[in-house]
Amino acid sequence: MAGGADEFKEADNAEAIITRIEHKSLKIETLLKQYKPVEALKTALEGTQAMIGDERCKSAHWLVVHRAIMAIKDVDGVLSSLDPEYYDILMKYLYRGLATGDRPTCDQCLRLHDKLTEKAGLGCILRFLTDTVNTV
Amino acid sequence: MAAISVHQFAHSITSHAWSPDKSMVALCPNNSEVHIYKLVEDKWEKAHVLQKHDQVISGIDWSRRSNRIVTASHDRNSYVWNLEGSEWVPTLVILRLNRAALCVQWSPEENKFAVGSGAKTVCICYYEQENNWWVSKLIRKRHDSSVTSVSWHPNNILLATTSTDGKCRVFSTFIKGVDAKDSKKATSSDFKFGELIVQLDLSSSWTFGVKWSPSGNTLAYVGHNSMIYFVDDVGPSPLAQNVVFRDLPLRDVLFVSEKMVIGVGFDCNPMVFAADERGIWSFIRYLGEQEVVSSGSSYGSQFSEAFGKLYGQSKHGASNDAVETSKPHENCINSIMPMSEQGTLIRRFSTSGLDGRIVLWDLENVPDLLELLVR
Repeated sequence: MAGGADEFKEADNAEAIITRIEHKSLKIETLLKQYKPVEALKTALEGTQAMIGDERCKSAHWLVVHRAIMAIKDVDGVLSSLDPEYYDILMKYLYRGLATGDRPTCDQCLRLHDKLTEKAGLGCILRFLTDTVNTV
Repeated sequence: MAAISVHQFAHSITSHAWSPDKSMVALCPNNSEVHIYKLVEDKWEKAHVLQKHDQVISGIDWSRRSNRIVTASHDRNSYVWNLEGSEWVPTLVILRLNRAALCVQWSPEENKFAVGSGAKTVCICYYEQENNWWVSKLIRKRHDSSVTSVSWHPNNILLATTSTDGKCRVFSTFIKGVDAKDSKKATSSDFKFGELIVQLDLSSSWTFGVKWSPSGNTLAYVGHNSMIYFVDDVGPSPLAQNVVFRDLPLRDVLFVSEKMVIGVGFDCNPMVFAADERGIWSFIRYLGEQEVVSSGSSYGSQFSEAFGKLYGQSKHGASNDAVETSKPHENCINSIMPMSEQGTLIRRFSTSGLDGRIVLWDLENVPDLLELLVR
């Protein structure tokens, strides 16, 4: 059955994505142990894994990004060493964090949101709001 | 300073257009009328009021050579206005729409005009001599949502549109009997009327303000996601670039040269974009005064000095509509129109917006931008 084959392929794809996310997770743990929060955040936000895949992949990837976001202590320092190309994707994850309703996560995301908006401008928020295709 | 004068004409302006000699401006003060103001001794005086539409006028265009005004309105109709003696005489154009008309533009040869509408349709209108009547020909079933802007290619055939479905499209508007065969020299194959030449799917949100560069080689349009798109080689294999900017989205753009674009929108301050030698587009700076002037503080203070002087002048000119303010625009700017053409370089242009003002800008006094313009 063609449908069955497609489904299988999709599942296989999802597995591959999950594996890649797991690798990423390990790498981030290592970076955090070395006190490199910026590198960890960059690694978390890098790649296209975030955008593709099903809800399960997105959730798995969110956990990884969440880990990197929560490890940030010096918000100003991290954001000033983060390259502008990461701003848009980080904003998407901050909103995902705010949507969780979890107190510590929201606190941290709000802190970052404030500083990120200062740096990246309202255009960054607009791009998050209007992007209905590449959601995280 | 780039802003040379600011005039408060109404509470809000939906659209404006200049007479061929730039001595008069037609604007819609957010109602069903068009007001034409004439500059008399440094003072804008209301010369004509065009009343015929039933609802808000969304688009005005004034043709350069034939001195005709076309208006498009939410009442789903257009009028072509001809100056006969001292009166503007309207001719009704039945667009055959079931939703509001949103934008209008004369073609370069002024034998056609295009109307974008909320009915997911573009109307191409042309004059039929035999019947003494403007005929509307529709491009239907091509847009998935409202058509927010239309722009004519210099060849008088190609028309670019933007839509709230997030796409920018280019159509052929070749009409037998209106367009001569040889005017299609720019296109290799024979395109029929309404044929989709290219569809650009770059934005995930509403798109606005499409414009062709003076040569017709580059297309620019904006997305509601604070991005501006530049497209070269419009055809089977277009080359697209998108430029992200940090502030609120744009609504309209104007090519002042092949390599320089002014964008206006919700940020109330026009933005300048330019392409470098390799053709890579980037945001240069704001046109209006900014708290932080990147090119040095002495530069900034010099500017603000000139700014104050000019405002003083316009106030001295005893014109009741001149405004004293620190910002030329205080609400969303929704249209930008060229005012001078020296070859393909536009140094002077005007902007109008929801704050009811028309601001005239001149790049002549802005050394860094003038350098970019004339390079």
